[in-house]
Amino acid sequence: MKTKFLKLSLLALFIFTASCSSDDKDNAIPEVVTTKVSDLYAPQTGGDRGTAASGEFTKFSFSENKIVTTDKWDIAFRGTAIIVNGGAKIGITDEPERTGTGAVSIVSGTFAGVTTFPAVATFAQDGVSTYAFPTSGDNRWYDYDSNTHIISAKAGKVFVVRTHDGKYAKFEILSYYKGAPATPDPLVGFRYFTFNFAYQANSTTTF
Amino acid sequence: MKIKITLSILFVFCQITIAQQIQKDSKDSIETNELSEVKVTTATRTERVISSLPLPMTIITAETIIKSGVTRLNEILNEQTGIILIPDESGFEGIQIQGMDAAYTMILIDGLPLVGRSSGVLDLSRISVGNIERIEIVKGASSALYGSEAMGGVINVITKRPKKDMLAGGLSYRYATFNTSDANANLLWKKKKFAANLFANYYSTDGFDLNESSVLKNVEGYYNTTIQPKLYYDFSENLKLIVSNRFFNQKADNAAVIGSEIYSGEAKENEWNSQIKLEHKWTPKVYSEYEFYATNYKNDSFLNDQSDVRYEDTYYDQWLFRPEVRTTVSINKDKLTAGVGLNYESLDRTYFKDNVKFNSQYVFVQYDYNPTEKWNILAGFRYDSHSVYASQLSPKLAVNYKINNNLSLKSSVGYGYKAPDFRQLYFDFTNPSVGYTILGYNVAEARLDQFEEQGQLLSRVAGINFDKPLKAESSINFNFGTYYKRNKLRMDINAFYNSISNLIDTQVVAQKTNGQNIFSYSNFDKIFTYGIEYNSTYSFTKEFSLSLGYQYLIAKNKDVVDNFEDYQYVRNSELQTFKISKSDYFGIYNRSKHTANIKVLYSIPNIKTDINLRVFYKSKYGMFDTNGNSILDKYDKFVNDYFLTNLSISKTVADKLMLQAGTNNLFDYTDPGQIPSLAGRQFFARIQYNF
Repeated sequence: MKTKFLKLSLLALFIFTASCSSDDKDNAIPEVVTTKVSDLYAPQTGGDRGTAASGEFTKFSFSENKIVTTDKWDIAFRGTAIIVNGGAKIGITDEPERTGTGAVSIVSGTFAGVTTFPAVATFAQDGVSTYAFPTSGDNRWYDYDSNTHIISAKAGKVFVVRTHDGKYAKFEILSYYKGAPATPDPLVGFRYFTFNFAYQANSTTTF
Repeated sequence: MKIKITLSILFVFCQITIAQQIQKDSKDSIETNELSEVKVTTATRTERVISSLPLPMTIITAETIIKSGVTRLNEILNEQTGIILIPDESGFEGIQIQGMDAAYTMILIDGLPLVGRSSGVLDLSRISVGNIERIEIVKGASSALYGSEAMGGVINVITKRPKKDMLAGGLSYRYATFNTSDANANLLWKKKKFAANLFANYYSTDGFDLNESSVLKNVEGYYNTTIQPKLYYDFSENLKLIVSNRFFNQKADNAAVIGSEIYSGEAKENEWNSQIKLEHKWTPKVYSEYEFYATNYKNDSFLNDQSDVRYEDTYYDQWLFRPEVRTTVSINKDKLTAGVGLNYESLDRTYFKDNVKFNSQYVFVQYDYNPTEKWNILAGFRYDSHSVYASQLSPKLAVNYKINNNLSLKSSVGYGYKAPDFRQLYFDFTNPSVGYTILGYNVAEARLDQFEEQGQLLSRVAGINFDKPLKAESSINFNFGTYYKRNKLRMDINAFYNSISNLIDTQVVAQKTNGQNIFSYSNFDKIFTYGIEYNSTYSFTKEFSLSLGYQYLIAKNKDVVDNFEDYQYVRNSELQTFKISKSDYFGIYNRSKHTANIKVLYSIPNIKTDINLRVFYKSKYGMFDTNGNSILDKYDKFVNDYFLTNLSISKTVADKLMLQAGTNNLFDYTDPGQIPSLAGRQFFARIQYNF
């Protein structure tokens, strides 16, 4: 049974690749690839015992797929707060200047299921006293359980980000804890983001 | 599901047919008949025979309590069908009736309420069972007589009262695992016009620890004393005075781990209840009770760090004063009962800015109507007018139809409510280590303005205001059941449905500049619970009887069911998201679908020994959401189902002396990770002397 399937799929693959003509080599569309970022550390100073949260935000760029320290960032993390590189400063301590036209739209669904860009009107940017990534309500990225003290990433929340330079990426946060354990210890390894993202480098409006 | 229903119906039919065949000695079924003829007072505030009562009611007799060998109220309640003891988030154990949380059940001693609920839960281990005559439990909304908190039901602990001239008493001592001691002394005396019931109890335990390596114990050690003197004076046959007091003192070890520091200290509880009541028979048809009740509950606790420096000090001081007058008028075969009273309640505690007070007045009316031999109709309502929240009208209607001498049908519909409590209105707490703030509804507006002036407020959540007063949580309750007794079999089945609205819960109202949220309370959810409860007792012979109990319960949040698209994504073990269907929604946390019990009572008269074996089953339940959609669905992690077995053997020696030994949790079932309050196997031995 298994070998039959293997043979069939090999055949299909052969036919598929054979049917690819040299045309494709000229108009190669890079596939939208899902990349996993593990343990992106987003430290925060203070924020408890009544003090305001402070410290540098950890900036991330989708196109470069790494933490950056330049102005070419798309989203930035600090503790549980996430900001986007677009709009105006919120008014919190140590936040970076907005140097791009970034925005974010929040979609319900599975990561693979989000294939078209949401409507332009649904995109929000940071502004005075307003977080584009909400810190409360249905569209906040996490749930905090006051019994277990665990911060868990809500399932079914996909964030479509317009990057600082007008391209699009979607990302889904998987875990807030180092190593992304299935049952985290709330006191160990927090503020380490693990997320999946897909970056659309072209100007098409789909993922 | 369908199979289960057909099986249970078949089982019921089997029991009835067996009863039909063994028609002989109705004399042998003494206990079943006697139990159904016991007079109860909680359901109607008048004396009624339980078999014709149109409300679902359970009674626990003093004999049952003694034979089980338990010492505290929570232990005996936990053994009843349909009453489930569950710990809430703070670890306090409370009772769940018909799927409703502990905060929705009213606890009474001799008809008078106890106060002192930490976050809604009353710690039932405060009440010793040494002085109990009978416990009456009415299930379903009972606000028509008892007002707020009687949404899930009412539990009334009735203490002993000497009826005729006598001098009797008892002394008992029980020792159990974990260095647990329980000593009782009880004296009942009546001579002509005077009577007294004096009771004293001392209880101490070291607590227990399921995980030797952790610093904290599962339950810390504590000791308490209860002293309950009750005095009676009969002016005449028609005028009787009762002066009753109860004093309770408890000292417990207090320990906590905050961050990585260990803190230890003490928690002290002091409670007294005082009642003065006049029972007045105007004429054989008119009877009144005049009652004044006062109670105070105080809790002081502190925590010190390792170098004995005071870290935290909390206190809680609650008073309740209640005068009430009730009158019952008998009109032919019917009874009309009316009562009027007022509540004055005050609470002073840490995390409240000021000492707060509640004032309310209430009136209730009930008509107990018997148009024919077969019909009994109970109709009533209660009106509560409150100083802080909206007034409540709680009506109730119940009907009992006697099909024949053995079988009756009963049905009831009633309204229940629970007023917003002090905490939900006046709390003012900021968590010192994390930095979030919780504000009671009535103080929120002013405090938010204050935060803004201090520059601590980042933004307020749009659309939230505190203009209208917080509504009381309310429910509508339906019960439908049957009561069957014949010779050796007694059986009752009750199907119930509760629809609860305006549940009060916390929500974010603003964000602080430190990144944390400010929470307050609001009326939200609609939940519904339904199920069926089955109880039967069969006395094979005078020496051997078997009881079966089973409850099927479904409890769900209506908002979740109606808006399931918001909850349909979950994460699997690789943290990938997938979609689930509405039928995968399990229900509300901390509720088992199936609970059951089997109780066997076997007496050996020639050696005067009784053997009492109880087996309890609790099916799986979920405590938290574990897969990212904030509700409990079948893919979440559950607490495993389990059986618990309790066994006790009692022997009467020389008429006045009773020896008892037994084991609780005979097979040593524990689940330290998921059920921290379940201790392993405990042995006990007890000696009791009655004179």
